[in-house]
Amino acid sequence: MKLTQLKTYSALLMGAILLASCSEDEGSSVNNLVEAPATYTFERDNNSTVNFSGQTTRIAMAEELNSALKNPNLDEATLDAMFAHEEGNQDFSVGSLNDSDKNLRSKTAASADYFSANSTDAAAIKADFDGFIAGQANEVFPAWGNTASPGTPGQLQQAGGGTIRYISAKGLEYDQAYAKSLLGALMMDQILNNYLSPTVLDEADNRMENGQKVVAEGKNYTVMEHKWDEAYGYLYGAEATPANPSLGQDSFLSKYLERVKADADFAGIDTDIFDAFKLGRAAIVANDYELRDAQAEIIREKISMIPAIRAVYYLEDAKDDLNTDPARAFHALSEAYGFIYSLQFTRQPGTNSPYFSKAEVDAFLSTLMENNGFWDLTPATLEAMSSQIASRYSFTVAEAAN
Amino acid sequence: MKLRNLLLPLLAIFLILACSESTDDGGSTSDDFDRKALLENAADNIIIPALTQLVEDLEDLQLAQQDFTATPNTTTLASLRTHWLDAYMTWQYIEMFNIGKAEEILYAFQMNIYPTNVTDINNNIASGTYDLSIPNNNDAVGFPALDYLLFGVGQDETAILTAYTTATDAQNRKQYLADLIDRMLELSNVVLDDWNGSYRDQFVNSTGNTATSSVNLLINDFIFYYEKGLRANKIGIPAGVFSTTPLPDRVEAYYSGELSKQLSLAALHASEAFFNGRAFNGMGSGPSYASYATYLRNNNGSEDLTAAINNQLGVARSQMNQLDDNFSEQISTSNQMMTRTYDELQRAVVLLKVDLLQTLNISVDYVDADGD
Repeated sequence: MKLTQLKTYSALLMGAILLASCSEDEGSSVNNLVEAPATYTFERDNNSTVNFSGQTTRIAMAEELNSALKNPNLDEATLDAMFAHEEGNQDFSVGSLNDSDKNLRSKTAASADYFSANSTDAAAIKADFDGFIAGQANEVFPAWGNTASPGTPGQLQQAGGGTIRYISAKGLEYDQAYAKSLLGALMMDQILNNYLSPTVLDEADNRMENGQKVVAEGKNYTVMEHKWDEAYGYLYGAEATPANPSLGQDSFLSKYLERVKADADFAGIDTDIFDAFKLGRAAIVANDYELRDAQAEIIREKISMIPAIRAVYYLEDAKDDLNTDPARAFHALSEAYGFIYSLQFTRQPGTNSPYFSKAEVDAFLSTLMENNGFWDLTPATLEAMSSQIASRYSFTVAEAAN
Repeated sequence: MKLRNLLLPLLAIFLILACSESTDDGGSTSDDFDRKALLENAADNIIIPALTQLVEDLEDLQLAQQDFTATPNTTTLASLRTHWLDAYMTWQYIEMFNIGKAEEILYAFQMNIYPTNVTDINNNIASGTYDLSIPNNNDAVGFPALDYLLFGVGQDETAILTAYTTATDAQNRKQYLADLIDRMLELSNVVLDDWNGSYRDQFVNSTGNTATSSVNLLINDFIFYYEKGLRANKIGIPAGVFSTTPLPDRVEAYYSGELSKQLSLAALHASEAFFNGRAFNGMGSGPSYASYATYLRNNNGSEDLTAAINNQLGVARSQMNQLDDNFSEQISTSNQMMTRTYDELQRAVVLLKVDLLQTLNISVDYVDADGD
């Protein structure tokens, strides 16, 4: 009897303590306790705890492959080897990339939240990238000097002595499809659906170790700190001074975040993202996981806007040139193709779902590729598509288009 | 000043005390579930009976091998193959228990590493001198090596028999076959003897919640096996989930061809049976991690995790049932069927590794080697 009373009493006491000491998790007052630094600089014993070399490496690999896709002297095997690099193979111009055990393909459509139990779609998506590469090497490269026409790959020059575009039989620039789709399938998917996910941040004993500031073996960071930094690296990893990013430093998220924020309708989006990364990281240092996850949601929302805004921008851009300047229109549509592809890797805050499902994205793409593809498109089709995309977000077609 | 000095550490203690629920910090267990009964059921009704069965199967396999080497013909070969499959099926109920002596002697590494290394096997046969216990031979021994020796050394039965009769190295091959089975039997006896000796009591009395207690090790071994031995090795790796292209020659029992599905279904059945504490002989069931989870969650009024896990394992089984008997064949005709099976198996990993372990308040003792 006495024991029971004691138990009840201590349970009550424990409850009170719990409420007292954990209530910071509940209220918003906590925001006052955790302060983000001015730059993305975090240290332990005067040494930086920030490391995302693997992300910098992959962005550099993606850049080299992006350039290689414009070199008609290369063959499919060479390009494939750059996409699915194996440690030690001389696939790149830079030794450190060749020595790296990282590659692009294994992290394409590979996030914990979307693909760990969906290897079937992951395989299909990886195969799409293999297809872009094969198409460029086997359809477009051999037709490099030919003039393209409906159903025939080759080149097409923009009006007024403009840029020459190298397109497939359906008008698609495979290199554009590759770059803009990779922005979603690799960078965005890894940030939003992998490294910012509690599945990854809180895996195994990460919380306990971060709470006690137990660093990873041989490292200066806790595993949780590192996971967050890896998310950061997929956006800012190509920066000269990543702690204080200037954007526009790669052909992927960094470039297109710069483009989006340059549109007055979306001014400040870059600061919102940067601030959320900083505060979330500071929250990890302060063991405030609720604040951390709130920042992750902000990043998810804002980064998910990038491919949608750019898809609408390019669809609208292409609309008026379809008949007058097909090369220019097809280039814009090739960009749009990739950005639409990337929509399936977006993340609606508070959910485990993208803004557009894979099936919806596939439907958009098949509309674009029907029959002779871009050659057959009408302005009305493009208009309908951009409204459909914008309608699911909080921006209008007009806001994205200018 | 003094008050602050006092308050800060006090606050720290409160914080640690009150917020440590998500951490795992010691040997005490806070519930009244009979953990010893769970371990006893695992040892007495599942592990020891399965190992006993395996030793019997391997003894039968040895007799069949002796008949075969004395008179290699279609009849003795057929009998040898049958007994190999019997033992291989029983093995599916053992591989997950990488604990105690099995862990110490790297039992599983010497019993079922595939793909088997044909070059190493043939070099061993050619030289006639080998140490089957060294790590270098892990992929030249055990069930997969026998798969090659019984099904892969010739195009058809006649050619296979030739390898044991008129081929120049026939004598060495017969010796290698005998040595492999001898070794498998020896290792299995070592593990079984330990269970029948002192280890059983040590095992069932290790009921704490620490990184080295039986309750923690056993569930970690089980989940690790489910994730690696079953999900990855049998399905994911051959289906190319972890590589650039599918690898149809990585299936279990590659040389016999038609058995990969049967073995995988057995492994899945073994996993379901263990989770639910069903006796190896099929006669009833006892306390298990399933009943432990049900016990804890009902106290908290949480949804039925045990049912969710069993349901998902059932979905995985239905998906696996649709596969071709020969997984290499399945990969060639429609690899999507393989990846779908993988995906259903993976969905249970999340339930086991996150939800179940959180419910049991047990830490994962391994992490995915997915560095970046």
